[in-house]
Amino acid sequence: MDLTQLAAGLAMGLGGIGPGIGLGIGFSKAMEAIGRNPEASGTIFVPYILGLALTEAIGIYALVVSLIILFT
Amino acid sequence: MVHVEIAAEELFAIGPLIVTNSMVGALLASIVLLLAARWFTRRAAVVPSRGQSILELPIEFLAGIVRGTGGKRWRQFAPLIFAIFLFVLTANWLSLLPGVGTIGLWEGEGEHRILVPFVRAGAADLNFTLGLALISFVAFIAFGLRANGLRGYLKELLVSEPAYMTPLLTPIHLISELSRVISLSMRLFGNVFAGEVLLATMLALTTATLLVLPLAFVVPGVFIMLELLFGLVQALVFALLSMTYITLAIAEHRQHGSDDHHSGEAPEQGTAAANGAA
Repeated sequence: MDLTQLAAGLAMGLGGIGPGIGLGIGFSKAMEAIGRNPEASGTIFVPYILGLALTEAIGIYALVVSLIILFT
Repeated sequence: MVHVEIAAEELFAIGPLIVTNSMVGALLASIVLLLAARWFTRRAAVVPSRGQSILELPIEFLAGIVRGTGGKRWRQFAPLIFAIFLFVLTANWLSLLPGVGTIGLWEGEGEHRILVPFVRAGAADLNFTLGLALISFVAFIAFGLRANGLRGYLKELLVSEPAYMTPLLTPIHLISELSRVISLSMRLFGNVFAGEVLLATMLALTTATLLVLPLAFVVPGVFIMLELLFGLVQALVFALLSMTYITLAIAEHRQHGSDDHHSGEAPEQGTAAANGAA
């Protein structure tokens, strides 16, 4: 039995849990901060985008691994 | 099942240089940028025309961010950041044009018959993103060396504050410097490549409905809109992270009590974000 596709699905599915939680926390905190102080949204934007990118990178690693499992 | 090739396909070879279809995509992006720059500089005026305003829009947007977060020496590295941003943005958006990745020649026989497109998204090849990440790596090391000198740079890298922590922390410092290259290149490659796979999958899923409902036109269209947004965000992220690394490398001597009180809060926020970059 070929387990390649199961492996790819598990790699992406399990790898998506952590970044998903992290992105949710980050986004909710950014929204909270903007809600408290709407004028600061310009200042929050750049660190927010950077944090988003760094969190999302983990999910992207999982995606790359699962694509490599699936297509090579 | 959609066929996806992770490595860029070979088109032809000039001597030892193998030209892949991703290189053609990256070359097209450069040509578009050069033509835009030529057109822009020939007709540039203090009071901008409509076309000039559109071209100035991304520059002004990015210049505002770089000025706000880059510290007082932002002018030194601003051109590099602008170039990275515009190049990645152009390469990403060009890859959404019709014909990119779909027009090509069939190669192989039977089961292994695959379409080799003439043009492929530049950033959908790890060589492209790794090259850009290495440029950024060399840039932040060079800026660090210029700002702190060789001794200051090595001291920052190899010596930790409580001396007994040095054997533990030095490998971590070294690994975190090197892992920036991997994380920068993998992030861009993963996003763009996943975007291509996503579009192909969505098209393959909806092609069967073509005769019943025009879903095959609607669903991939929605995702192309999404890819426009992702292309912009990833170009911005690549440029901003490179800028943050350079700012960190320049500002490292601050810990030794210099007079850098006027550089504002923004670089410190960048510092906090980038410390997790490992």
